[in-house]
Amino acid sequence: MNELLRAEKLTKAFRNSTALNALDLSVKAAEIVCLLGANGAGKTTTINLFLGFLEPTSGAAYVDGVEVHSDLNAARSKLGYVPEQVSLYPALSGLENLDYFVRLGGNSNPEETWLRSLLDQVGLGQGAADNKVSSYSKGMRQKVGLAIALAKGTQALLLDEPLSGLDPSAANEFCSLLRDLANDGTAVLMATHDLFRAKEIADRIGIMKAGSLVEILAPDTLNQAALEQIYLKHMHDDTSLEETVQ
Amino acid sequence: MIGTIIQKELTEFRRDGRAIGLLGIVGLLLLLGLMTGFANESARKQNVQKAMADDAAVFLEQGIKNPHAAAHFSRMAHKPVAPLAAFDPGVASYLGQVIWMEAHYRNPAMFRRAEDAPELSRLENFSVAGVLTLILPLLVVLVGYGSIASERERGTLRQLLGAGISLPRLLLGKFLVIAGVAFTVLFSAVLVATLFSLQTLSESGYSLFDLLLRGGSLLLGYGLYIVCLTAITLLVSTLVSSARSALLVMLGVWVVAVVGLPRLSASIAEQVYPSPDAVKFWQETRASLQANSPPPGSEDYTMLERQVVERALGRELREGELQEVAINRGALMLEVSELTGAKAYNAAFDELFANYDRQRHLRRLLSVLSPTIALQHLSRTYAGTDVSAHEHFSLAAEEQRNNIVRVLNEDMMINGVGQSFGYVASEDLWDSVPIFEYRPASVAYAWGESLVDLLVLLLWGVLAIAALFRFGSTRSVLR
Repeated sequence: MNELLRAEKLTKAFRNSTALNALDLSVKAAEIVCLLGANGAGKTTTINLFLGFLEPTSGAAYVDGVEVHSDLNAARSKLGYVPEQVSLYPALSGLENLDYFVRLGGNSNPEETWLRSLLDQVGLGQGAADNKVSSYSKGMRQKVGLAIALAKGTQALLLDEPLSGLDPSAANEFCSLLRDLANDGTAVLMATHDLFRAKEIADRIGIMKAGSLVEILAPDTLNQAALEQIYLKHMHDDTSLEETVQ
Repeated sequence: MIGTIIQKELTEFRRDGRAIGLLGIVGLLLLLGLMTGFANESARKQNVQKAMADDAAVFLEQGIKNPHAAAHFSRMAHKPVAPLAAFDPGVASYLGQVIWMEAHYRNPAMFRRAEDAPELSRLENFSVAGVLTLILPLLVVLVGYGSIASERERGTLRQLLGAGISLPRLLLGKFLVIAGVAFTVLFSAVLVATLFSLQTLSESGYSLFDLLLRGGSLLLGYGLYIVCLTAITLLVSTLVSSARSALLVMLGVWVVAVVGLPRLSASIAEQVYPSPDAVKFWQETRASLQANSPPPGSEDYTMLERQVVERALGRELREGELQEVAINRGALMLEVSELTGAKAYNAAFDELFANYDRQRHLRRLLSVLSPTIALQHLSRTYAGTDVSAHEHFSLAAEEQRNNIVRVLNEDMMINGVGQSFGYVASEDLWDSVPIFEYRPASVAYAWGESLVDLLVLLLWGVLAIAALFRFGSTRSVLR
C-alpha cells in the first residue's frame, strides 16, 4: 500500500533539548495512526515537521513522496491539517471561513452548495453555517476545521489533538468521520492524549516518549486495559501524563 | 489568491465598527483641513486681487511727477496664491507675500502671515498635507499592527500556512489591503483638493496641465510614504511577539519618526545654519554695497556709465562721446547706482537663499532617519509653497524692479536733459511701465528641486519592502 506520510530518521533539536529523535514512521493510505504521549513527547513536533512549520535538524519528512523541506508548498498542497484549537475569523461566518481557506488552498472558485455539503458532512447544519464564528462553540470550530481539511481533498490528514475539549457526542461524530475518510483511502496521522479514542479508531498506535517513538502497537490485538498498562509502563516516571490519563 | 485575501480582509474591515469609525475620523480631519486651507487661501486670493488693483490704480493715477520719485513710489509684486496652497500651505506663511519694488533697494517680502497671526489662528496651519503626514501613518498603524501578530495569536496563521498559502503571498495580500485603504484616503484627499484648486487656478499663473501634474506628483510622493509605512508596520507585526507589542512599537515609531524627528531636524538645521537676523543682514549688505561700489571717475564706474547710456540710447557710443552726449547726468548717476546696488543685493539674497538650501540639505540628510522629513519637502515643493518657489518669485520681482527703475531712469535721462532732478514726466509714462505678470515655476522645476526627496522616499519604500519580505517570510514568524 502507498505510504502517504513517511518520516526517515526525522530529528529536531532545539538549543537545550531534542524534541524529536530519529523518528522512523510511515502512514499508508486508508490507515489511521495515532501518536500517544505526554506533553513534550514529540507528537506536535512531528506534525509541525510534516507541515514544514519547523525545519528538521536531520532526517526528512515526506508527503506522498515529496520531501517537505525541499518543496514546502508542494508538500503542503498534499496535506489536510486540523490543529488542537481550530482558529477562525470571528467576524466571518462558518461558511465564509471555509470559503476563504478553500480558496487559499488553491480552489479559486468553490461552489457554495459544495461548501455547504462539506459543512453538513462534518455536522454543521445550515443555520450554523451562516452564523458568525464568534458565536461558535469549540466543537463547532473543530468541525469547520475538519471541513477545511476535507475540502482540500488530500489523501493525507494531520490532526493535532483534535478531540481536545470536544464533548463526548461531538468526539464520537468526529471519530466516525475520520474512520469514513480512512475507509475512503485517506492516510490519517493524529496526535492525541485520548487512549480510548485512539484504541477505537486507530489501525496502529505509536507511543512517544521524550522525543522518541518507543513502541508501535496494533490495537486490534489488545484490549483497553492492556493498552493502558503498556502506555503507563512507558510513562512510568511521567507524572503529568498519569494525571492526564487518570 | 491575493484577491481572496484582499476580499476577506476588506470584509472584516467593513464589519469592524472600529475601523470604520477610524476612517470616519480621518475623513473628518481631512475635510476640516481642506475647508480651513481653502477658506484661508480664498481670502488671501481676494486680498491679493484687491491689493493688486489698488496698487495699479494708485501708480497709474499718481499724476505728473519726477520719474525717480515715482521709482521710489513704485509698485508692489504680489505673490499669487499657489492653487495647491490649500492642500499644503508649506512655508508660505513665513516668507511674506508682497515685495515692494522700489529704487535702490531689493526688499524682502513683506506681510508674513505668521507675524500677523493671533494665538487662536494656529488652526490656519491645519492642512490636508498636515493630516496626511501625521494622521495617515496613524491610520496605517492602527489598521495594520495586528495583521500578522493577531493571526499568530489567534492561531489562524498556522492554519493559513497549513491550508497551502505561502507567507510572502499572505504578506503581499495584507500589504495591498492596508496600503489600498490608506491610498484610497490619499487619493480622495488629493482629488478633492485638486478640484477645489481649480477655483483659484485662473489668477495663479499655473496651467491646468501643470496643476494636474502636481496633483499626480503628490499622489506619487504620498503613495511612496504609504508604501514604506505599510511595509514597516507589517514587518513589526511579523517580528514582535504580540499584537499589543506591535501597537506599542509602532506608536513609538510614529511619535519619533513622524512627530518628533521632523521638528527636531528643523531645529538642528537652524542651529547648524542659522538664518541671519534682519539687522545683521542689512548691515552686512550695506557694507558690501559700499565696499564694492566703484568710485565715480574710476575706470569701472566709467564702464558702467557707458553701459547704461548705450542701453538707454540703443546704440554704441563713440570714443569720448560719453562726456559730450546730451543726457540728464543725475539720472545716469541713479541708474549706475542701481547696477552696483543690484549686484550687492543679489549677492546678499543669493547667500540668504543658499543658507535656506543648506538647511534643506541638512534636513535631507536627517531624512534617512524619517521619511516624513523627505515627504514634507516634497509635498510643499509640489504644492508650490516651499522656499524654492518663493526664491523663484523673489528673483522675478527683482527683475521686474530693475526693469521699472530702468524705464523711469532712462525716461529722465533722455527727456530730462538740462533739468536735473527738476524734470517731471507726463502721466503717460506710468502706462509704459511694464506690468508684473508673474509666471510661477513649472512643475518640472518642482520635480528638479525635489528629486532627491523623491529618491529618499523611493529608497525608504524599497528597503522597507525588501526587509518585510526578507525578515517577515521566515519560519520564525510562527514562533
